[in-house]
Amino acid sequence: MAQPFPYTYYSCDCYDSKVAAAPTKHASQGIPPAEDEDERDFDPRSPGANYSLYPLEHLLYCEDCQQIRCPRCVVEETLNWYCPSCLFEVPSSVVKTDGNRCTRNCYNCPVCSSPAVVTTLEDPFDPSSSGGPWLLLCTYCKWTSLEIGIEFEKHTGITAQLARLGNGGRTIPSHKEREKERERRLELDKHKSRDILSGSEDSPTTDKRDDGPPSHDDIYANLSAFYKSQLAAQQPSNPFSPHDINFSSPSSFSRIMNLYSSSTSKKQKREKPTPMREAASPLEGLTLHSPSTDTAIIDRLKTSGWSRTLSPAQKLAQMTPTVRFTSDLRPLASILCTKRGKRCRSCRHILSKPESKITSTRYKIKLLARNHIPRLSLRALHTSTSASASATAAAAAILPFNYDSLRPGLPIHFLLHISNPLFDPVRVTLATPSLTPGRVHTRVTILCPQFDVGANTDVWDDALSGSTDTAAGGLKRFSASGEGGAGRGTEGSGGAVEAGKIWERGRNWTSVVLEVVPGKDGKA
Amino acid sequence: MSRPSARKAAPKGEYIETDSGNKVSRRSAITGTANITLGGRTVIMADVHLRGDLHPTRAAPSTSGKEPITTSISIGRCTVISTGSVIRPPSRISRGEVHYYPMKIGDNVFIGPHCTISAISISSHVHISHHVTIHPFAMIKENVKILPHAVIPANMVIPSGSVVGGQPARVVGEVGEGWGVGGGVSGGIGGGEKGGEKGWVEGGDLRELVRSVK
Repeated sequence: MAQPFPYTYYSCDCYDSKVAAAPTKHASQGIPPAEDEDERDFDPRSPGANYSLYPLEHLLYCEDCQQIRCPRCVVEETLNWYCPSCLFEVPSSVVKTDGNRCTRNCYNCPVCSSPAVVTTLEDPFDPSSSGGPWLLLCTYCKWTSLEIGIEFEKHTGITAQLARLGNGGRTIPSHKEREKERERRLELDKHKSRDILSGSEDSPTTDKRDDGPPSHDDIYANLSAFYKSQLAAQQPSNPFSPHDINFSSPSSFSRIMNLYSSSTSKKQKREKPTPMREAASPLEGLTLHSPSTDTAIIDRLKTSGWSRTLSPAQKLAQMTPTVRFTSDLRPLASILCTKRGKRCRSCRHILSKPESKITSTRYKIKLLARNHIPRLSLRALHTSTSASASATAAAAAILPFNYDSLRPGLPIHFLLHISNPLFDPVRVTLATPSLTPGRVHTRVTILCPQFDVGANTDVWDDALSGSTDTAAGGLKRFSASGEGGAGRGTEGSGGAVEAGKIWERGRNWTSVVLEVVPGKDGKA
Repeated sequence: MSRPSARKAAPKGEYIETDSGNKVSRRSAITGTANITLGGRTVIMADVHLRGDLHPTRAAPSTSGKEPITTSISIGRCTVISTGSVIRPPSRISRGEVHYYPMKIGDNVFIGPHCTISAISISSHVHISHHVTIHPFAMIKENVKILPHAVIPANMVIPSGSVVGGQPARVVGEVGEGWGVGGGVSGGIGGGEKGGEKGWVEGGDLRELVRSVK
């Protein structure tokens, strides 16, 4: 995520703890499990660490397990589907039947994936009664459905119209028409074979009416019809009780007999099911590779050139990913999104559950990690400029610290700010390797590695009882020595940062100073 | 444009602060101030161009006799518009005339530097990074993060909770559940709230974010 540079990632040890738990079964493994979980260092540089580091707002907290839960250790359950473009909810039954695409007028440009709008081709000087022919237009790359030869009669029901319209304006046969056509051809084939057997040569069929190779949908329809017929032939169904278990069939009888006979009996009783035939003709969905289509494609490449071919991304976005040319593109119906609830993977408790209404962004349940674990943030300390107490006006004038140009060898102070969301005070102990591993050895010193962070009490409680040890409001209290008072003032006078002291402290937050000496490239 | 009175009254400084806490830079270019509403505690930085003069002209029949008050840009509370951004209400040509449509920006929206925004609506808790272009009539729902240099095509609807990027933009991810939580008060420029507690929106301190804007 593109966060402003000094960001904080939190490591979820869900994977490591699982790994540590697993070897207990294998005695051969020499890793002592579990007990030294705290001892094992998390290595943020290992390639696997990328998958366990998350920004705080992506983390949830399971109150039963008392663990943070990252996107890796939650299970998601879909609450509902909706179209991201028209924001209409799609019932799950429709998702099952129609697939996860919007069936309204939400279409994306097949070239650049931005949303396409339905616009009219109406001649303003010769208006038509229906207001159009209509077309899909991409407002980003100016692709129109005219490029694939598609115009619509109405501006509504684009999906239904598109289902009947092939590229170039030819009509796509519907499912029923396809079935009829297949039946007809099967009949013809039978006739033909009989004719051949009988020796008569004058076949009356004008069978060669198909234009080009069959389309993807045709092949699929043929194949599925073929396999359905095969399945039907496999199971001799009883027409009177189609849903009943068919006890009279020999196969189920033998199965039941097998159940009751002893397991030691040979398997000779079980007769093998007759193997299914594979598709053997084009009408059964068989497609044979023909070199002529290849040469046709090559010829097309020669004539139309590179610009008419599709990029892999465009190809993959298509419904039939075998298309090659821009003339084969189809508008893409927008893919549905889901609203999901999240559960803890180990105890199955719900961690977050959004309201089921699509337009609502509220949550019924939301257990955020930021309410349970201290929040850390790091930023550079402006010590060079004399940040006086009247920083309000000057703040805008202060040059922003350039995090991209740290100079090697020059110590820089960073402010580590830890705030506590809990209602109990927290004691923090920080540690860092004195030299960071890796190519550039940077010296990092935490000036105050151990300190307390106050409890997140009510502001009013604090204000009412505050006068005793803490002052109300944005109180600053310094540990150790008694130079309480103006922290910023001491810093401004050049005394700057002192070791062993916290920098600043408030009701439920504490900030300490880190000194960072960026190393030189290559050597320590 | 027409702020001579404010200029006299306000103390010398980068920002003019209104009664409701809006901070408007003296170096911003705001046209058609009558058609712009700011919700309060909203920051408009230098070189921001608010085109309030492009207001809806489709005049409702003046039954009351008075000129109806047309709002072209309405901006919610605690929104930050960073330097060099241009906010321009979307327009459409219909029957040979250009019609502008009112634009709405919600609360706690951060618009990064050097953006060109022509969306029809931007809901609350939206974070727009630098150099983003939003084409006319895009609609951005709540809790959206737009990555730098993204170009949002016209008429695109970005559903809530998504991260978008690219040219043209597409949804590339989702923001976490913690997005925008606790970002109630933001946009104080180096302001009185010390402690970094208040300006926290998503992963970064908004104050720091604002400060880093040049």
